[in-house]
Amino acid sequence: MKTEPLSILVRNPLAGVFVALTVIFALSALLSPYFLTPYNLSVIARGLAFVGLITIAQSMLMVLGELDLSLGVIGGLCGVISGILMVKLGIEPYSAMLLAVLLGACLGLFNGLLVTTLRLHSLVLTIGTAGIFGGANLVLTRGVAITGIPKEVQFLGRGDVLGVPVPFLIMLAALAVATFVMVKTPFGRYMYAIGNNQAGARMLGIRVDRIRLLVFVAAGAIAGLAGVLMVARLGTAQPSIGDTWVLAPIAASVIGGVATTGGVGSPIGAIFGAGIIAVIENIIVLFGVSPYWQGIVSGAIVVLAISFDAISRRYLRRENG
Amino acid sequence: MKKIATLLACAAFALPVAAWAQDAAGTTKKDSYRFVIVPKVVHPWFDKVNEGAQQAATALKAQTGASVEVIYSAPQTADVVQQNQIIDSALATQPDGLAIDLLDPSGNQASLEEAQSQNVPLVLFDSVPPEGMQITHIGSDFCEQAKIASRRLVEILNGEGEVAIMMGVPTAPNHSIRAECHRQVFAEHPGIKVVAEGIDNDSIEIAQQQAAAIMQANPNLKGWVASDAAGPIGIGQAIVEAGKQDQVTLVGLDNLPEMIEMIRNGVADSSSASQPELQGYWSVMMLWAQATGAPVPGYVDTGNAFLTKDNIGD
Repeated sequence: MKTEPLSILVRNPLAGVFVALTVIFALSALLSPYFLTPYNLSVIARGLAFVGLITIAQSMLMVLGELDLSLGVIGGLCGVISGILMVKLGIEPYSAMLLAVLLGACLGLFNGLLVTTLRLHSLVLTIGTAGIFGGANLVLTRGVAITGIPKEVQFLGRGDVLGVPVPFLIMLAALAVATFVMVKTPFGRYMYAIGNNQAGARMLGIRVDRIRLLVFVAAGAIAGLAGVLMVARLGTAQPSIGDTWVLAPIAASVIGGVATTGGVGSPIGAIFGAGIIAVIENIIVLFGVSPYWQGIVSGAIVVLAISFDAISRRYLRRENG
Repeated sequence: MKKIATLLACAAFALPVAAWAQDAAGTTKKDSYRFVIVPKVVHPWFDKVNEGAQQAATALKAQTGASVEVIYSAPQTADVVQQNQIIDSALATQPDGLAIDLLDPSGNQASLEEAQSQNVPLVLFDSVPPEGMQITHIGSDFCEQAKIASRRLVEILNGEGEVAIMMGVPTAPNHSIRAECHRQVFAEHPGIKVVAEGIDNDSIEIAQQQAAAIMQANPNLKGWVASDAAGPIGIGQAIVEAGKQDQVTLVGLDNLPEMIEMIRNGVADSSSASQPELQGYWSVMMLWAQATGAPVPGYVDTGNAFLTKDNIGD
């Protein structure tokens, strides 16, 4: 047995991604004088909040061995619906937002019911439902943003508490709840059991379909929350909200150690992964990287981060005997 | 004594004049300037804007001796959320000015307000400011640009026939203004019937797919106009694939190389073109003027050009 801290590091599944994030953070701070300014950190935190919420939802599903490609579109549709409720139907803004989040839960329920009752593959199914939800968005808006979102709710997207963006605080709260449920409750342990071996979990008497259904509902609600917060951030309900929330949360989850096959990982790791992506997107602008090189640069940093994670773990494991 | 009094009086007058001269508009000088250009999306039309912006930087450097850097930072997709993220990150670098083509004025407003609160000079190109915000904007008359194209189509069709309009990004104001102005021109001619409208989201591929489907569904379609630069290129490809060069007339928009090539080989009749290089050039000039403390106009019109086989050269 070597040193105790190394042993703790190697045992902790979050260590690799945390170290990778720290290295990227430190290098960015060294190379750009603007990186550590409070304004820039708040820009990163605010950007991370929205993708972070979808990442939490996606990582919960991935632990079960599921993938939902409609989460971003659910966020967009819920955002648009909240705008319609507030502006066109005159419903009290916070009630409208709550109703939109509930709609997100219902859309998650719709996905979950189809997956569990018809035994459909969630990845394939949600390609289809993403088309339905995205189409509904266009039918309702005809591609035109809904303006006139009341100022009182814009605090939820634009406001700060002690310099920390409000949506980031909401994301942290969602992360805390998701982590508590997954780590500290039997429900969470069942999620990992299902993700590891669904047939085995059934044999153990775990109500597999019920748990899968509830996680789809929770994921839909979180996506809806991301959508309405983005409406509060923009001050308009944009039909394009959620368009870029499809691949990034999956990539973030994988970077953060969540296995696509299920049973491994946690939302905290996924948020570290999302943090890496958010910092990369930020430094690309700070360094003035050409837009034609951005894909190569960000892809290369992600590959390096994953490789660093894998290599450091292997090294530490060897060091520890 | 009288002389001393006169000298003192002159000095009393000269001091504020000298102080005023120090603060006179346009006299603030720096050794280096860094401007950031944020277009709607990575797109060849915006490359031309960037070319113009770089030319302006070179010109300013040659004329003033100052170092002028223009950083071009484009969203990978035409998404207002991603564009805001880029604007916010660019603001963190404390640039001397920011030129932006807004994807959606209302959706971009929070980021623009943040820039103004940080006293970063702003210029908008190819787009208009959000309601209630005073920001210098540069571009051509979008409506007139569209009307030049739709009037030309009406003229070729002798005021009769079925036509279609390709909208660009429906939430982009310049695209929606052009689409609306096409409709206005066609509505003035009872013999012209708009049978279909497509949305291409500023993508050549989507424009091609939409145009192919619309021509399939409307076999009597006689003509096309578009509302963005990608639209006519996709429509032209669809016309060629359907073998309808002799049946369907395309009057395009803007001056991308593919558009010019289509005019040259007869797939398109002509194009009503905005001048992206000029928009980039004057964006940088307006930002520089603001950075020096000079007053700037509210709007700079870079005009439209009408391109036909006769004036595009070989």
